[in-house]
Amino acid sequence: MTDPLLRVENLTTQFFTEAGTVRAVDSISFEVHEGEIVGLVGESGAGKSVASMSLLRLVESPGEIVAGEITYKGRTIFGLEETADGSLSERPEMLSEEEMRREIRGNEIAVIFQDPMESLNPVFTVGGQLREFIELNRGLSKRVAREEAIRMLREVGIPDPEGRYEEYPHQFSGGMRQRVLIAMALACEPSLIIADEPTTALDVTVEGQILDLVDDLQEKYGTSFIWVTHDLGVVAEICDRVNVMYLGEIVEQAPVDDLFYETAHPYTEALLESMPRPDLTVEEIQSIRGVMPSAIAPPSGCRFHPRCRYAREACKRVHPDPRRVATSADGETHRAACLRHDVFESGYEASAPLEHATALSDREVERPPGGEGGE
Amino acid sequence: MRLLRYTLYRLLQAIPVLIGVTLITFVLANLAPGDPVRFMLHGQEVDEELIRTVERRYGLDRPLHERYLVYMGGVLQGDFGHSIHRNRPVLDLMLARIGPTLLLVVSAYAFALATAIPLGILAAKRRNQPEDHVSRIVALVGVSTPSFWIGIMLILLFAVTLGWLPSSGLVYPWWPPETYGHSGYGEHALETVRHLLLPMIALGTLQMATLMRVERTQMINSLQGEYVKLARAYGVPERTILRKHAFRAAQLPIITIVGLNLSTALGGAVLIEYVFNINGMGRLFLEAIQQLDYQLIMGITIVIGTMFVVGVIITDISYAYIDPRVTYGEEE
Repeated sequence: MTDPLLRVENLTTQFFTEAGTVRAVDSISFEVHEGEIVGLVGESGAGKSVASMSLLRLVESPGEIVAGEITYKGRTIFGLEETADGSLSERPEMLSEEEMRREIRGNEIAVIFQDPMESLNPVFTVGGQLREFIELNRGLSKRVAREEAIRMLREVGIPDPEGRYEEYPHQFSGGMRQRVLIAMALACEPSLIIADEPTTALDVTVEGQILDLVDDLQEKYGTSFIWVTHDLGVVAEICDRVNVMYLGEIVEQAPVDDLFYETAHPYTEALLESMPRPDLTVEEIQSIRGVMPSAIAPPSGCRFHPRCRYAREACKRVHPDPRRVATSADGETHRAACLRHDVFESGYEASAPLEHATALSDREVERPPGGEGGE
Repeated sequence: MRLLRYTLYRLLQAIPVLIGVTLITFVLANLAPGDPVRFMLHGQEVDEELIRTVERRYGLDRPLHERYLVYMGGVLQGDFGHSIHRNRPVLDLMLARIGPTLLLVVSAYAFALATAIPLGILAAKRRNQPEDHVSRIVALVGVSTPSFWIGIMLILLFAVTLGWLPSSGLVYPWWPPETYGHSGYGEHALETVRHLLLPMIALGTLQMATLMRVERTQMINSLQGEYVKLARAYGVPERTILRKHAFRAAQLPIITIVGLNLSTALGGAVLIEYVFNINGMGRLFLEAIQQLDYQLIMGITIVIGTMFVVGVIITDISYAYIDPRVTYGEEE
């Protein structure tokens, strides 16, 4: 296989707060290859956004990347090495802040944020903002950048782009603003776009349009995407490969079809069951019990065990890392961090089920097969 | 075009406000105890008939509403009446005094803005660091210290003890240098500034302190905005973010406060003119009140009221220039 566009290894980002150290991203590894859309999925607070901002080295204080390695097109975005006295320091080949700003942010890796209402500056024209980023990241003159901005506005399906160029964000609808943000990202001609919940704030119909648009443009420009979302429906629609995050860790990593049909982690399973479906009433949807625990003091062993219906004694003791559990037909690896898989040899089978897990799986049994009828 | 229409619309709205201001002042001035004619006589015993003649001459025997209408009719033609105490047209008296007051208020604001904006930005950028703490203390002292006291202390320090700056009066830049015996425009300008410095700081400190805190809060909010995050993610240099992206959106409340504090500043000017012995409108106003000089009180009230209303309108209009989200009335 060719070298990936982006390789993230054991990335760890922590927030040093008064309440304690928040392990927002805890040793995650994933890759993004050229031209693919990689999903980063999880509940709110799973660390998806922090992970994606870490890739640009834009984690806000008091957050800090403390370990791991991020390599993009062979260049080191983040990397530490051990010095003679045993402490860690930044590797010499790691890009400087100035290099990150000039050579990576915008022109190599661009972002689309969740809230199109807030992401555009209310006191500047839409066109002006777009033009500024194009000028900056592609070194074009004002005039050429302006033409390019108008071309991109047309490209993302904004009617009358010349006229709307001079308008302000408040004169655009939510969907139109999100198109502007997509135009912004594509106009800088990056190789990778991080889309952080870009459709969450939109109506479902508009969301559909935006997803179609991204699909078309992705094909046309060949740009890779990291698609951050909590919505597995969106994942199914556009992603090639998926990383499921829970409490700062990646718990399952698989090509999109395998994730849905060969689900290997109970958390992913629970996420799938909690998706609203037309054939189920609200009572029948299996929401995930409990809330995500604090990332300051995560549960021992497997972090999901307090909410897992398969949890056994071993799950409280052994902390699983994502390991290969299967290989798909086209040679892609399917990883999961769950002790139920044989590769872990953790004594899961032999250990006793946890009390809450028994209760959770009982609930499962009560559910009528096929989702027919009610309780 | 839309902006022009908005401007006219706002000016029209000012008319009822000004009618209200003049009406209330007119009624209050007439309700105040004391009879101006008798006051003029300094308690001398005179013929009642003579008093009535004087009252008739000034129209003081007519009913209140009639006097108001006659007065306003004159005002619209630029006739603010005659000061009975000084025996000169009110308009002339005010024209002679408005220059120094405007010079003082405008330079106080210039001082306040020129210091508050950079200091506020610095405090926001270096939040909870020493710079921020210092600026917080400066602001607290500035807000809680009366301007006349600041004035007196400045005089004590810079005029009396150090002898660097003059303690009273202003040099009017619009008068020719020879009036003051200045050798040329260079010296004239220098002397203007030297005289202006202390009263300007004394009057401007309160505004500076308020504006600085608002600027800090606004910049902190703006710097945390999603659009700043986006600009960073697109490689915009931090300097540009501070000066352009975060800055512009943060200035709207500053404009509002400048406009609304105009009344505080004009009120403060009265005290500062007293402390620094400046012959401005404020002092004229105080004297007029002490002398129960109705015509002068009315005239100055109208002028200050108009200045305030115009200030607020300018605020609104500049708001519309800076914030594209402001609608111009006709869209709602």
